[in-house]
Amino acid sequence: MPVPEPESASAESQSLTKAQKKAEGRARQEQQRAAKAAQKQQQQSGQNAGPSSNKSKGSTVQKKPALESNKIPSAAASSSKDAPTTREGAVGADGLSDGPKSRGLRIFSHFGLPKTPGHQIKGDIHPAIVKLGLQFSEFKICGANARCIATLTAFKTVIQDYVTPPHNTLSRHLMTHLSPQITHLVTARPMSVTMGNAIRQLKLEISGSDIDLPEQDAKDALCQEIDNYIRDRIIIADEVIEDLAVKKIKDGDVVLTYARSSLVEKILLRAHSLNKRFSVMVIDSRPLLEGKTLLHSLTSVIPPIPCTYALLPALPSLITDADIVLLGAHSLHANGSVYSRAGTAMVAMLAKEHSVPVMLCCETYKFSETVMLDGFGKNELGLLSINYFFALLFADAVCNQTAPMKFSLGASNSNLEVLNPLYDSTPASCITAVVTEVGLIPPTSISSIPLALGRTTL
Amino acid sequence: MRMCVSVLIHIYDESLPSEGQKLSTPLAAILALTEMMEQSNAGTMFELLTELKGAAEALSRQSLNPIGLKAGCELFIEFITLFPHDAASFSELKTELIRQGQHYAEQALAYRAKIAELAFDFIKDDSVILTHSYSRVVLQTLLLAHKRKRISGEISGSNATCEYFSSHVLCFSVFVTEARPRGMGIKTAEMLTAAGIPCTVVLDSAVAYAIDKVDFVLMGSEAVVESGGLVNAVGSNQIAIIAKAANKPFYALAESYKFHRMFPLSQYDLPSHNPGVLSFPQTMSARARPASSGLPSKASSVLFDNGSPIRMTQEDIARNNPDVDYTRPDLISLVFSDVGSLTPEGVSQYLVGMFAG
Repeated sequence: MPVPEPESASAESQSLTKAQKKAEGRARQEQQRAAKAAQKQQQQSGQNAGPSSNKSKGSTVQKKPALESNKIPSAAASSSKDAPTTREGAVGADGLSDGPKSRGLRIFSHFGLPKTPGHQIKGDIHPAIVKLGLQFSEFKICGANARCIATLTAFKTVIQDYVTPPHNTLSRHLMTHLSPQITHLVTARPMSVTMGNAIRQLKLEISGSDIDLPEQDAKDALCQEIDNYIRDRIIIADEVIEDLAVKKIKDGDVVLTYARSSLVEKILLRAHSLNKRFSVMVIDSRPLLEGKTLLHSLTSVIPPIPCTYALLPALPSLITDADIVLLGAHSLHANGSVYSRAGTAMVAMLAKEHSVPVMLCCETYKFSETVMLDGFGKNELGLLSINYFFALLFADAVCNQTAPMKFSLGASNSNLEVLNPLYDSTPASCITAVVTEVGLIPPTSISSIPLALGRTTL
Repeated sequence: MRMCVSVLIHIYDESLPSEGQKLSTPLAAILALTEMMEQSNAGTMFELLTELKGAAEALSRQSLNPIGLKAGCELFIEFITLFPHDAASFSELKTELIRQGQHYAEQALAYRAKIAELAFDFIKDDSVILTHSYSRVVLQTLLLAHKRKRISGEISGSNATCEYFSSHVLCFSVFVTEARPRGMGIKTAEMLTAAGIPCTVVLDSAVAYAIDKVDFVLMGSEAVVESGGLVNAVGSNQIAIIAKAANKPFYALAESYKFHRMFPLSQYDLPSHNPGVLSFPQTMSARARPASSGLPSKASSVLFDNGSPIRMTQEDIARNNPDVDYTRPDLISLVFSDVGSLTPEGVSQYLVGMFAG
């Protein structure tokens, strides 16, 4: 925490919370023993609340389920608790302020909650980060690569505007200045694996920067490192992947892709510029309909690439015509499962069923050392609220001139919850090959690439 | 440079048949490249590497089925690139590299014995083995197993019954597929029979019929690719599929110099695939065409000339058929190699660790 005053205040309040929670817990235990599990979680969250300054990501993740589970049994108790726990309290309240519901989504309450766009700014947040936070939460900047590049670019501004306070060194203090910025971004939207990997590398660089270096020089050096990271791990990596993937597209092929991956888009455009004669099937799905953007860019080149656009339900009848499936990824996990836009798993499984080779295009910096077994352990919820969702549905219906929506907006929907996970997990067995900047590899072997583990320097 | 390449091809061709019984394609390629290095007058590492790459390219253009050859060349070039450049002068470094290359080729000859040792443990008494085509490493494994089993039988068999068993009931038997079009399975069968191993040649089309009698499949390989899959004489894939369907283990034997940094997505993604493979004869397409495009009468006369007498020789059939096919990793139980018994995932991790590191 950057400023000393809030920190001490929050520490006080946290200790207060702890005591409160314990007392409450005891009372409840006497009253109802059935709520034992919830009680345990609550105590855990109380313990976690203390050392949260640096591990901001971990603590937010751990606290949210606890908050949710508290809310379900007793609304009164949760409201008393929300006030002191600073940022999560605010967010949690936003997410649930729509009405007296929160009975649905119970098993999905651990997913990253959708945020309201105008979430509050706590502490000393750089304007660039505030702007970025808004762009993230409104999905103006979307996609693992775009978010990572935007974050790193914003951090460059933050670092340049940063002044080391007296009696401090840059290598020790800068990170404490950056962590609330990171926290702010995470509050706007859960952090992507790419951002996590990049920030970890940035932390390493900051802690390793020379104490004796003049401040401006040290800042310039850090910005240079950030630029190098973007160049080496994203931009150059993409070029190498394009080269490798294009070789697998042959004349006369029908390439099938799902939604929009910036990398797949680049590969298809590169193949087109090499005069390969192929056609593309863009499979898309609501609510984001990102494939439309891809479709636009593929058809606006000269001569346009022949494209077919279809929604996910039409896939089974189209997959038999495809020769190769190209997919993008949000992250790739140690057991080879792929975390990507919801719907990807269905495309990959169907392709495997019809023995169409599935090529996943993914830079090594998207590798995460965690194991992902399914899409429920970790995910992110999409849209903001049920009303927003229906507004979208309604708008869609009006645009498409389809049958009028029978749903009425407002209180009558209180029994209806919308579950809209943004991602899903594709098992390694459904992926034929992963195209990375170190070559084509099977998805299970990604953990044996030293570069993916960040063993090499920026 | 051009002369260099022709010399190289000569060396390669020479080293193949002369030691044909022993040397496999990747090793021959390594030896040829070493030889070429000796004769080259490259003054820098860069020049040398360019020359080597050119030579590798020329060799693979020469060969009809360049997969094994490419694996060898790739390994050698990778080795040269990664070799520590701490010699005093370039010529010294070059002699050292040549020495290392020859040393490797010498050592590599012992790899098959190592693999045979590993695979030996999997051959139980009375097992029935199915193998395909001709593979030196499979042959060596089977011969080793036969020798060992017989010796152990004689040692334990002091009384008459055991004597009878050791001499008359042999410890395992082998089915060999004929392996059209080259018919190399016959060669395997002859060699096994000569060694006293009971052996039956089965038709390629009879594998599914025979599979229930088989305990496991032993398969040689031309190359083991990065997916953990296998490139081998055509027919391997269907044997693997049949073995999988019958729940029989499918073991591949491959020396580590056959590990190849290539990732075929499908059968048609192999470098050996060309438009001629599986193409339809001209007459067929001509016969199908007239209705739609209304071809002139000239085409029909062509049809008449070529189409009326149906002459199909073995060569005609072979020409339209692939030499090798690709076996997916999920059909393979284990790959025995000189670096150990690996699962297909293990192979890909080994390859990634070696080349992508």
